[in-house]
Amino acid sequence: MSEQTPPQTDQLQRTPPPLTAPVMELVGISKHYQSRGSIFGGAGERVTALNQVSLDFRRGEIFGLVGESGSGKTTCGRLMVGLERADAGQLVLEGREITALRGKDLKDFRRKVQIIFQDPYQSLNPQLSILDSVAEPLITSQACPASEREGRVLATLKAVGLSPAEDFAYRFPHQLSGGQRQRVAIARAMIIEPRLLVADEPTSMLDASYSAQIFDILLQVREKFGTTIALITHSLAAARYLCDRIAVIYRGHLMELGQAEQVINRPRHPYTQALIDATPKFGDCGDVPRYNALLQPERQATTEEAGCVFFRRCARAHLTRCSRQAPTWRRLEDGDMVACHYADGAPDPGPEIESCPVPGL
Amino acid sequence: MALLEVNHLSIGYQTAKGLLRAVDDVSFAVDAGQSLGLVGESGCGKTTIGMALMGLLPPNGSIVGGNVVLDGQDLSGLDEADLRQRRWRDIAMIFQAAMNALNPVQRVGEQIVEAILTHKPELEREEALHQVEGLYQLVGLPVGRMHDFPHQYSGGMKQRAVIAMALALNPKVIIADEPTTALDVIVQDQILKETKELQKEFNIAIIFISHDISIVSEVCEMIGVMYAGQMVERGTTREVLGQPRHPYTQALLNSFPALGGPRRPLRPIPGEPPLLIGRRFGCRFCDRCPVPASSCKLEPPELVQVGETHFVRCDNV
Repeated sequence: MSEQTPPQTDQLQRTPPPLTAPVMELVGISKHYQSRGSIFGGAGERVTALNQVSLDFRRGEIFGLVGESGSGKTTCGRLMVGLERADAGQLVLEGREITALRGKDLKDFRRKVQIIFQDPYQSLNPQLSILDSVAEPLITSQACPASEREGRVLATLKAVGLSPAEDFAYRFPHQLSGGQRQRVAIARAMIIEPRLLVADEPTSMLDASYSAQIFDILLQVREKFGTTIALITHSLAAARYLCDRIAVIYRGHLMELGQAEQVINRPRHPYTQALIDATPKFGDCGDVPRYNALLQPERQATTEEAGCVFFRRCARAHLTRCSRQAPTWRRLEDGDMVACHYADGAPDPGPEIESCPVPGL
Repeated sequence: MALLEVNHLSIGYQTAKGLLRAVDDVSFAVDAGQSLGLVGESGCGKTTIGMALMGLLPPNGSIVGGNVVLDGQDLSGLDEADLRQRRWRDIAMIFQAAMNALNPVQRVGEQIVEAILTHKPELEREEALHQVEGLYQLVGLPVGRMHDFPHQYSGGMKQRAVIAMALALNPKVIIADEPTTALDVIVQDQILKETKELQKEFNIAIIFISHDISIVSEVCEMIGVMYAGQMVERGTTREVLGQPRHPYTQALLNSFPALGGPRRPLRPIPGEPPLLIGRRFGCRFCDRCPVPASSCKLEPPELVQVGETHFVRCDNV
């Protein structure tokens, strides 16, 4: 397996993909969940998973969606592949609104977007050989004649670094390590060459050496197939390594969006700053400044509905303004987007941009 | 003499395929107030060491060589009754996955009271309850939540409750096994900081088990890097992370993305760790090593001292 060590890529000067029309756009997407009420009556709590989220994913881009658990990032990924339906807003794939698709059109959409899940121990059918597992999408989508299936499977296994592919094809999931299983999951998603791959925390269950392997395979997949990848992760360090752009999300609200380096090196939203403060630093980390953006203990606020969602935890908040008025999602001078009244120290919010897909930065 | 000494410890599991040597010839020492991080990938034996120190190895596991000396007393010679007395009072453990470490049908405060009363039967219940209140304040939990059930706690709160339980009997040593793995970064950061403060305050020795070097580097003064049951490198955090000498440590460090500094390519470690059943010759890392010598396959490397407190199990240093 030594040949899957990546070539000494200068991926780190990876050129950002050209500014083309986005592969997928989310326009003002909202999603709420109603928790079950008590059996004695009384409605359950209404939980906002996503609130007015607008994003665009460009061709060949790796886009990072970063946030804590419960931030709505997984809901967002599930919406993008049609596993959930939005309560409001539009989902556009290659210029086509897909929320209302049915029948053949829906099937066609499903071919174009694929997802890999967090836990490779649960996402593969233990009774299917790797060959059968990876061939399944080919069969359901009738993408190629039966005679070519095995060849396509072997080629895809090779592409994700499982070689000799003939050897892996006849094994079963329990005979593989976590890292190998996750590669099978990637092969299974990539075999029908989707336009968009949603990777939901693909390495959080894996050891460091396997994570690095998966990261490099995602980079190679992008290189080889030109696939757009939406990486859902809680790790800013992983997002920095892999992504061209990063969006930070908190309790269903977008907080900040911009070029990866920019968001990490010059975070403008206090929540992004808090995430950076909390990430362990080690080795030749250079000078990562401390922002001390997190308020401790939290404020006991009651006006949350109207104000900023981060108000209770924000060390920088303006007591009256931030508790009463939600910040608009606005563009800063250098092109990054942020939802904070006081990003860049600006006392006044910039021009209002509401629920518009983010045009080319 | 250090508070806790582990000397040439070897641990085996009886399996259908033969004896699996999960831990092989591991030595380290930790003093009061010190913290040692055991780092390595899953299956490297780090949790097995923790379980052996607690005397909680599963029935098919046993210490097959070496010993554990706590405060001058050899723990491996104790019978179950003595061990039970020492467990939790002298050595406590913060278990991996706090959500599973608490009894779901008992109120959280009550579980800690029970732990205290088991070891100090002479105490009145009221007194124990009072102690638990103190523990709650110590770990930053609202005292009012003592009578809630575990499912009413958030992940971070459960972790704090488990830490409170570990502190309940003023142990000399705490083994923290992946205590923050299931938590978000912000909560993780807070809990690590609080753990560090508590450790200083009570002069506790901590053995911190994690697969994540970056976490260990924030919390521990000393690091032991484990690979396939052996400790391949050990030293102060500065020594091990500043001048890693073992190829595995170097490879592990190269496979973590960093938040700052230049964006350098990651180098995944190719291949898989070896199986630990049956006889093994030579160095365990040599199949994956970027710089193997021909002799590495034949002779197992010895632990070599390369600095004041810095040891490496590699012949090519």
